[in-house]
Amino acid sequence: MNELDWTNPLIFSVAKIVAISVAFLAVMLLVALTVLAERRVLAFIQGRIGPNRVGYFGVLQPFADFIKTMVKEDLVPDQSTKFVFLLAPMIAVVTAIMAILVYPFGPTITLPFLGTIQLVIARFDVALLYVLGVTSVGVYGIALAGWSSNNKYSLMGGLRSSAQMISYELSLGLSLVGVVLLTGTLDIYSIVEQQSGWYGMNWNILYQPLGFLIYLISAIAETNRVPFDLPEAETELVAGFHTEYSSIKFLLFFNAEYINMITVSMLATTLFLGGWNGPFVEQLPILGVAYFAIKIVFFLFLYIWIRGTLPRFRFDQLMDFGWKVLIPLAIFNILITATVLFVRGS
Amino acid sequence: MITTLLFILFAGIAIGCAVAMVAQRNPLYSAISLIGVLLSLACLYVMLAAPFIAAVQVIVYAGAIMVLVVFVIMLLNVEDEEPRRNRLAFLAPTAIGLAALLIAETAFILYSVQASPYTPRDNVSNVGLTASVGTGLFTEYLLPFEITSVLLLMAIVGAMSLARRSNIISANSRVVPGSQVLPMNVLDPLASDEAAVETDSTVEARFLMGVDRLTDPNKRG
Repeated sequence: MNELDWTNPLIFSVAKIVAISVAFLAVMLLVALTVLAERRVLAFIQGRIGPNRVGYFGVLQPFADFIKTMVKEDLVPDQSTKFVFLLAPMIAVVTAIMAILVYPFGPTITLPFLGTIQLVIARFDVALLYVLGVTSVGVYGIALAGWSSNNKYSLMGGLRSSAQMISYELSLGLSLVGVVLLTGTLDIYSIVEQQSGWYGMNWNILYQPLGFLIYLISAIAETNRVPFDLPEAETELVAGFHTEYSSIKFLLFFNAEYINMITVSMLATTLFLGGWNGPFVEQLPILGVAYFAIKIVFFLFLYIWIRGTLPRFRFDQLMDFGWKVLIPLAIFNILITATVLFVRGS
Repeated sequence: MITTLLFILFAGIAIGCAVAMVAQRNPLYSAISLIGVLLSLACLYVMLAAPFIAAVQVIVYAGAIMVLVVFVIMLLNVEDEEPRRNRLAFLAPTAIGLAALLIAETAFILYSVQASPYTPRDNVSNVGLTASVGTGLFTEYLLPFEITSVLLLMAIVGAMSLARRSNIISANSRVVPGSQVLPMNVLDPLASDEAAVETDSTVEARFLMGVDRLTDPNKRG
């Protein structure tokens, strides 16, 4: 049986398109299941039952909601800036989904007929910077949505969100510098490969506990989730930046938020929790995919758990926390890491 | 083949967005067009085997600087630019002359590149990779790199001192978006002996801060 020739541009392109489609569908399915899990887990935390009627355990509930939202009337405010109003949700969802390209979801596996393949869509030198860049462009989606709606609540939500995301992007980026110093590369694939020692348990979180904590907090703020959900604080701002959005455009924002949750969970998994690494991955490579999925689901559950437990910050507390606690801590973490590496190296 | 098509695509987007940026009346549309230019330039950098520069272009320019520009436009709610009387009409011939000079320079570069012998590289250059850029910055170009850092630090300190210069907002105050400027002891009950004072009116906030002693909130009801 001949193996495929991966240098052939046609086979290469088809393989990439198939990989992207599979990853897209998987992420979208995960979004639907996360929405359902969020409602069920929150209901459990609050002593309710939650949606359990559509399909087994309410599995079809997100799909029913999807159809319901799709067929609603698509309202566009009369005084809004039409073009930007249309553009904003597209920016939000496209930048959210672009980040999934670089995450390796399994080790290199050898399959019959297909040959040896790396389970990653795109591997390049600046993968980590690419993720940060795509995330930083995602701010426009929310900011422009708030501005173009021509609604005070939307504008306040958009402004708050931009300020919050710019502030926490700094601590998010700085918290990753420790890992980059440790591994000496920005290529996410090799960062994961370097954590494979000790029966696949040589994870960066052991060397960077402070960095991991800062990353986790910043990531929650970056995705506008509770307790940092000031942009859509419903008691103050109705629904924040997406107050005026309905039907499919609202759905795009909704999806973008959950895709962002998944991508920051993927980044936490790959950089700090060893990605697909785990016991017995060397003997059974396909186990790596399962480890990767379990770790992502753990982070998604953590998000929901935090949402069910913590109250919302006030805006000045949020800004103080970001600038006066997280950023100094992140710089301290870089200093310690660099010093230890220098001493060990010399 | 594909490379050429992609180059034409991204170059076309870049030029189109650049023209739109100048031609738009609405400042926000101009800003969005400029973001388009920066992003398509980043794509061109990737095609020129300079991924690090591309990533930095997106993070710094499209992700940080342009967010601030959009932020300011949104906050100031700038109106559409009205066509005004051309005051500096004598500058038009100068502009045409300079544009002609620029086109001549471009043509000369194109000509000299075409005239020089073509030497194909045996492999892809790794100059644009992160490691090479980092090594260059911290060895050969260390002094310019550090001087630029100091320059940026000066700009930050200057902006801070300019913003803090006015006496209207005291150093001890916080701005709560959506409401008003409040002194710290009003926001934080622990920092003061008094009980926390809640306020929802700008007038009362100004009174509490002592900005305007003449205004008495009780008289206004």
